[in-house]
Amino acid sequence: MFGEYDYPFRLESGQVRIRIEEDGGFFTYHRSSDGDDVHKIIGGKRGKIVINPVEPVNLPEEVTKYLEIRFTPMAIEPDSVQEVYLKFPIEIGVFLKGKGEGDLLDIFGLTRAKYSLYGTPDEGIITRYYESAVYERIPESDPLREGVLSLTVRNSSRGWVEVSRVVIDCSSLYLYYKDMVSLAAQMDIFSREIADVWIDDRPLGEEMTPVSLFSRARKTIIPDKIPFTMEYGAGE
Amino acid sequence: MIPLDTPIYGTVTLGDLILFVIAVIVSVIIAKIVAIYLKRALSDRIDRGELDKLIKVIQVVIIFFGIWFALPSFDLDVGQLLVIGGTAGLIIAFASQKIVSNLGSGIFLLIERPVKIGDTIRIGNISGTVYQIRVLSTILKTNEGIYVRVPNEQVFTSDITNYVASPARRFEYRIMVGHRENVEAVNSAILALISDHPFVLKNPPPSVYMAGLSESGIEIVIRMWIPSMVWDSLQTEMPWKIKQLLDRMGVEIPVPQRVIRYAEVQPPEKRQD
Repeated sequence: MFGEYDYPFRLESGQVRIRIEEDGGFFTYHRSSDGDDVHKIIGGKRGKIVINPVEPVNLPEEVTKYLEIRFTPMAIEPDSVQEVYLKFPIEIGVFLKGKGEGDLLDIFGLTRAKYSLYGTPDEGIITRYYESAVYERIPESDPLREGVLSLTVRNSSRGWVEVSRVVIDCSSLYLYYKDMVSLAAQMDIFSREIADVWIDDRPLGEEMTPVSLFSRARKTIIPDKIPFTMEYGAGE
Repeated sequence: MIPLDTPIYGTVTLGDLILFVIAVIVSVIIAKIVAIYLKRALSDRIDRGELDKLIKVIQVVIIFFGIWFALPSFDLDVGQLLVIGGTAGLIIAFASQKIVSNLGSGIFLLIERPVKIGDTIRIGNISGTVYQIRVLSTILKTNEGIYVRVPNEQVFTSDITNYVASPARRFEYRIMVGHRENVEAVNSAILALISDHPFVLKNPPPSVYMAGLSESGIEIVIRMWIPSMVWDSLQTEMPWKIKQLLDRMGVEIPVPQRVIRYAEVQPPEKRQD
């Protein structure tokens, strides 16, 4: 489903139906998914649209830029590295591709959104919340609902550390897609309370297509290369 | 026609004055053009309040450079200018204490940042959303859409309640159900309903519990944490959803009631005289 399309066109995948058809002097966009129906008018001549997975922090409305994934607790030995795979929710963005930057036409998701608080009510951060199992290998996933996150956990502390959550700053995710949606991140644990999370710009498979900068739902001036520091612990 | 080298004040000529005015006008025009372009380019990337601040700072810098560029044409001694400016500043400060007080408060507000643009706050008895923080005053937009200008001195010295300073807020509702209701089933149904809402936070978890018995019914307390940004919409949405749920379940919400018992009174025996 993801990719670039010349309109008018018609697309159906699972419970998602998208079509753009010519209607008099303009085009109309129709999307139905999960009981949700959207109709919009597109002005101008024939053009292209891009359908891409986007960061899952836009629905029902944007209240945060952070994604928190909870998983089965893992005990990590000091000075060791463990790579695991998790699943994360995705949202689907429909962008109009024009001369300049792409414009977001529609955004929808097939997973139910849930939000949480990471940290304390006065100083913490609101997060999009998701629970995942821990996988040793890349798991099967429905690319319209979930992506696969490769998380490399490095324990740089002096003792064993239990890890059961990762918080990711979605300002500049490097998402790739093909038959799955992928994301790669590293987590460097310094103590039971402090860990840095870096987003890697690498796909998890061959010939995967990167989600272009213009077709991100969140616009940033400078891609964020600074790690997000989890200050309220990586465990329970 | 007056020649441009005609002195108008000391060594300052008409040409110098025209050059100064042109430099200032040009710098103001450049500042305005830069502001328009910045607004167009960055409006979807930066928060509106932050963008306004950024544009204002850039405009001030451009105009300052314009004036700085034009000042040498006056052949002024900058040191002397500073002394004159300082003295004039003191005189103006004494002459307009209220303004200076507001200015000082404005600067401290910018440093301390107890509120920022877009925050929902209450200052004294005025509630609203911060629309603008100016040097001398803060503009609030009330829920009725009325703009209120509050002098910064008042903002700085008043109690400020900021409803959105924390990322999350706790809601609490209290409802009454009839004495005959199955409280456990009601609590479970309400908990399931509120837990299903995307913005009722997973952590800290919501809670529903029986708070006590009263003469009218059983009191149930419902607590949930929600993101402060969506506080306003949820505070109206959730009670309505809970009411609909209780209606669907056929749960009685009692009105204040009192049981009155009449004592049995024997009718007086009739005398037969």
